Amino acid sequence: MKILAFIWLAVPALLQGQLGVQGSFYVGQADHRVRDAGVLVPASGAVFGGALTANVGPRFTIAAEGMSGHFTAASGASLDDHDIAQLQLIGGMKVRPWLTVQAGPLWRNVSNDLARQHWTALRVGGEARVPIGFESVRGVLRGYWMPLVSVSGLSRPDVALAASAGVEWRGRRIGLGTRYVLERYDFPVTAGNSRSEEFAALQAWVSASWSKP
Amino acid sequence: MIRTSLVGALLLIPGALAAQDNTAELLDRAARFHADLDVERELVLLRQVISPNSPFIVTHEQRVFAYKYLGAALVVLGQVDSGVVYFRAALERDPFVDLEPQKFTPAELAAFATAKRLTFGLGARQVTPATIDPRTERVNFTVLSTHAATLQVEVRAAGAPAGVVVFSGENDGPRELQWDGLMANGHLAESGRYELFVLGVSRLTQRTDSARAYFSIQQDYPALEDTLPALGAADLLPEQHPPSAARAELFKGLGLGAAALVISGALANGDLEGGSGKLAAGVAITASAVGIAGFIHGRRHREIPANVAINAQRQAARASANAAVVQRNKERLAQARLVIAPAAGVGP
Repeated sequence: MKILAFIWLAVPALLQGQLGVQGSFYVGQADHRVRDAGVLVPASGAVFGGALTANVGPRFTIAAEGMSGHFTAASGASLDDHDIAQLQLIGGMKVRPWLTVQAGPLWRNVSNDLARQHWTALRVGGEARVPIGFESVRGVLRGYWMPLVSVSGLSRPDVALAASAGVEWRGRRIGLGTRYVLERYDFPVTAGNSRSEEFAALQAWVSASWSKP
Repeated sequence: MIRTSLVGALLLIPGALAAQDNTAELLDRAARFHADLDVERELVLLRQVISPNSPFIVTHEQRVFAYKYLGAALVVLGQVDSGVVYFRAALERDPFVDLEPQKFTPAELAAFATAKRLTFGLGARQVTPATIDPRTERVNFTVLSTHAATLQVEVRAAGAPAGVVVFSGENDGPRELQWDGLMANGHLAESGRYELFVLGVSRLTQRTDSARAYFSIQQDYPALEDTLPALGAADLLPEQHPPSAARAELFKGLGLGAAALVISGALANGDLEGGSGKLAAGVAITASAVGIAGFIHGRRHREIPANVAINAQRQAARASANAAVVQRNKERLAQARLVIAPAAGVGP
């Protein structure tokens, strides 16, 4: 419903032609750590992703982002190796020149040779951008709370948070940046066993933008 | 007591008014006697008017009138020299005095002409109140010399040492002059007090005389627009960062780097023995480096180009608006009309 409301608000500006589109591609190094029943399974790998962001009018943005990567377990056990693919949509509304509130769904697929796990989550949070040092350089801080998380085969986590910090440079058409991303999920204790997961990544990205005044 | 004073005042007021009426009546009767050649009775009346013991109020014009008719009466009686003396007395008081040929005899006119030759006087008649459009109309002045003289007539701002010359040359008698309202600099006369200054040298006696007539000018034009005031500090953006801005950039960079480390440390789950601090360090180092670079750049380049450009645009917009205002005001001033009125002197 929130997405529909956002689209409903964004359509008039879209019709007025105030549109900007930005496409980006990123690569990164990521860690995926899982502790289940006291056993820690750390894995890491390279991730690749891309995003398409539309600025609708001066206040609204909507973005679609896809990411995938192969994670190799540090233990060397091939069964702990897995792939992650995810898609997220996120809409934003600028409430201050430097602050945007955001919300949107996320779908993630974690799979290995034996099984496949589906994640669905709703993110609610915001993004702050502050200039640092130069007019075209921004520091970007993001924080999200995920009130609704559904993971196949698992209970809903008690704690589901995500945060990131990054630096970006944007020219007239081209942008460059780097960001650190962390997601934390703490699942409730079930049958005396607790499960925690964490996803962290350092990403470097490049973007190109186009705008219609 | 009060009632007595009021009654006295009421009795005196008609008496004073009657005194003025009596002088005019006496002069009127004297003129009628002169027309009837009853100069003896005329002389009695005129001497009564000019006598210091006259009980009546005698105005300047009435005294000039009396001297004129006294001179004429004495000429009729054959006392030409005495007549000339009174004519001169009249001319000295008012150079514009004249004998109408239809009322006076050739002998009187001849004696008056002699008086004018013997008396050198210049006159400048008070201007008549008028409103003129200087593009199509002129201000009229009347000056006079009692006999042949070299005249220079100027219009000056009151008290000014020089003005615009409206006549320079030989003159004998009255002369009508016209002025286009322009001063010596070619500009329309500003609102203020002016004087018509007449300076002359007699061609007969080489005596010098001068006369002045004061008048005021008021420019009448549509209301002018005010120009925009100079842009103040509140209207302009700061064109330089304060010295503390560079430090702020450093702190922002370091703060962002610290935020990355805090996320990897405080937000992460310690049970997972996370090693993502190395990943966060990548952003922390980058952000800190940007902050340090921003600090150095900020110290070396304090100007804010965007604000400089915006301020220049605002200054240009103001200059453009003011130029338009000045142009419109010029067009309105070009339509100015001059309201002319007699004045008592250089000031109110």
